[in-house]
Amino acid sequence: MGLFPFIFALIVGLTGPRNVKVLDKPNDDGSAVIIEWDSASVTPAVKMISIYKIPEEMWGHGSIKVVDLLSRNTFRYVDTQVKPGKRYYYYVRFWGEGDYIDSKIVGPVVPKAEWFHKERLPMLVVLLIYGGLLAYFLKRIRKGEEVYIRPIAGLQAIDDAVGRSTEMGQPVLFILGLGYINDIATLAALSILQRVAKKTAEYESELIVPCFDPVVMTAAQEMVRSGCFEAGRPDLYNQKKVFFLTNDQFGYAAGVDGIMMRERPGAIFLMGLFFAESLILAETGHSVGAIQISGTTSITQLPFFIAATDYTLIGEEMYAASAYLSKDLHQLSTIKAEDMMKGIILATITIGVVLETILTLLGKPIPNYIKQFLEGGLWK
Amino acid sequence: MKREIPMIITFVSGMAIIIALFVPHPPFGRVEETFNNWYIIISGFTMILGLNSLLGHNLDKVKRKAEGWPYSLTLILSFFITLIWGIVSTIRTGHIFASTSTFRNYYYTYVFVPLQSTMFALLAFFIASAAYRAFRARTVNATLLLVTASIIMLTQVPKGETVMAPVLGVAALLAVWKLMSEFESAASWTAGLPYLLLSIAIVAVYLPIVEVLRTQTTAVNDWIMNVLQMGAKRGIWLGIALGGIAMGLRIIFGIEKSYLT
Repeated sequence: MGLFPFIFALIVGLTGPRNVKVLDKPNDDGSAVIIEWDSASVTPAVKMISIYKIPEEMWGHGSIKVVDLLSRNTFRYVDTQVKPGKRYYYYVRFWGEGDYIDSKIVGPVVPKAEWFHKERLPMLVVLLIYGGLLAYFLKRIRKGEEVYIRPIAGLQAIDDAVGRSTEMGQPVLFILGLGYINDIATLAALSILQRVAKKTAEYESELIVPCFDPVVMTAAQEMVRSGCFEAGRPDLYNQKKVFFLTNDQFGYAAGVDGIMMRERPGAIFLMGLFFAESLILAETGHSVGAIQISGTTSITQLPFFIAATDYTLIGEEMYAASAYLSKDLHQLSTIKAEDMMKGIILATITIGVVLETILTLLGKPIPNYIKQFLEGGLWK
Repeated sequence: MKREIPMIITFVSGMAIIIALFVPHPPFGRVEETFNNWYIIISGFTMILGLNSLLGHNLDKVKRKAEGWPYSLTLILSFFITLIWGIVSTIRTGHIFASTSTFRNYYYTYVFVPLQSTMFALLAFFIASAAYRAFRARTVNATLLLVTASIIMLTQVPKGETVMAPVLGVAALLAVWKLMSEFESAASWTAGLPYLLLSIAIVAVYLPIVEVLRTQTTAVNDWIMNVLQMGAKRGIWLGIALGGIAMGLRIIFGIEKSYLT
C-alpha cells in the first residue's frame, strides 16, 4: 500500500481489516478456503471489500484478485478457486471513498481433501441402523413370517376409479406432475402408473398421460407398455397417448386443463411432484366430475389435494405404493423397517423432550456431548 | 442379462452417490456433480424426443381432423412462430433476452408473461372454491379445520381482530343451533344430553375465547402456526424422508424392479 492512500485513509477514519483468518474449509474435497475478518473493523467509512490471494509460487511477485467489491456487510468469503495441497496467503482490502487500506498478509493455508464428512456422522448412524432393520425384516420375511400393512384408501380406490371411468366410457387421465426422473416421487408415481395402465388395459379403457419432461415421458411410455403387456393386451398400447406437453409450469397446467375440459376423463390421477399448479389441476378435475386420486410429497401442496380430490396419498404413502400394490414380501419388509425406524425416531424425540424438560426444571444444562453429536460436531 | 446389467448399473451408481455423501475426498466428492452433468446432457437430447412427440401427436390430430383439431393447429403455429421469432431475435441482437430483442420486448412481455399470469391468477378463485368445500362443517374434523382456518385468516387480515367477535359469534350461534336441533331430535333425554352440555359449554366459553383471541391475536396465530401446523408438517416430513430412503434402498439393492420394464 502506498503512503498517500494510507495517510488519506487515516484522515477519513478508514481502519484496516482486523483479525483476518484463513482456514481450510472443513469436510470438503480440498477445493475451498474460508477467509474471515472481524465485523467490528468494518466502520461506516468502509464502502466495499476486496480479497487478494498469493499462491506459494507467486510469493514476492504480486497477487491475484479473488473477489472484487464485496458488500460492506460481508465478514466471510469462501474462495473455491484453490487446489488441494498447495499453500496460499491472503489479504483483505477495505475500500473507502477512492482510498483503501489492506490487512496484514495471513497464511499459509493448505486446503486438504478429507476422507470423512464429520458433520454427517449422525446421518451415517441413522442409515446404518436403518440398514440393519431392513436386513432384519428381510430375514424374517424369508423365514416365512407374514407382514401386515394397514390399508391405504387411495391405493385401494385405484381399481374402482378405473372401473368407474370404464363404465362411463370415458378415458383415464394420469398426471405425473412437474418432477424429473431423478425425483423419487416421480419414480413412485411411475410405478403407480404401471398399475393403472394394467387396469385400463384389462378394462379396455383409454389412458392419457401428458408429460412435463421428455425423460419422464420416455419412462412413462415404457411403464404403460409394460402394464399393457402384463394385462395380456399389448395391442392396446398406444404410444401417442403418452406424450410430451411442455416444460413450462403454467403452460403445462393450461394444457392439462384443456385436455380435462375436452376429453372429460372419468378418473384423474395426480401423482408426483406438484407446485403452484396443483390446485388449478385438481379443481378443474373436480369441475368435470372425475373421481380424483392424488399423491405427492410436496408438503405445501398436500392441503390443496386433500381439499380438492377424493383420495390423497400423503407423502410416504406414495413411496409405499409400489410395495403395497405388488404385494411383494421383500418390498413390504422395507415398509416394516421404515415403520420401526419411525418408532425409534419418535421414541428418541420423546426421550429428548422429557430429558430436556427435567434438566431445565433442575436448572442443569444439557450435556455438551449430546448437543455436539446432534449438531455433527462430536469429531470436529 | 437384459435385467441384470441395468440392476448392476443402478447398484454401482446408487452406492457411489451414498459414498460421495460421506466421503468428500476425490474421486468420490464430485460423483454427484458428474452424474448431474451427465443427466443434463442426456435430458438435452431427450428434448428432441419430446418435440417429436408433441408435434407428432398434434399433427396427427390435424391430419385426421380429430375432435378439437383447431387447438392442435394453434399449438403447431404458436410453436413455429415462437421458434422462428426467437432465432431471428437471437441472430439480430446476440441474445434472446437482449434489451433490443423484439422477442423479449413484444412476444415475451406481451404474450408469454400475461398468459402465465392469467393461469396463476386462476389460483385465487380455485382456492376459494376448494376452501368452500373443505370448510363445510359436516364432520368434527371439518369443523375443527373451519374454526382453525377462520382464526388464522382473521388474525392475518387487516382489522381482523375487530371483526373476530361478530364472526365467531355467528359461528357459535350456528353451532348452538345445530347442537340444539340434534338435542331435540335425540331418541331420549339422556341421549341428547351431550349436545345440550356442548351447547352450554360453547355459550360459556365464547366470551373468554373471543377476548383471548382479540387481545392475543399474534400469540394465538403464532401458536397455531408454530405448534399445531409445524408439528403436523414435521411428522409428514419425517415419513417422507424415511419413505424416500426406503424407496432408494429398494431400488439400489434391486428389491424394487418396476423401473426395469
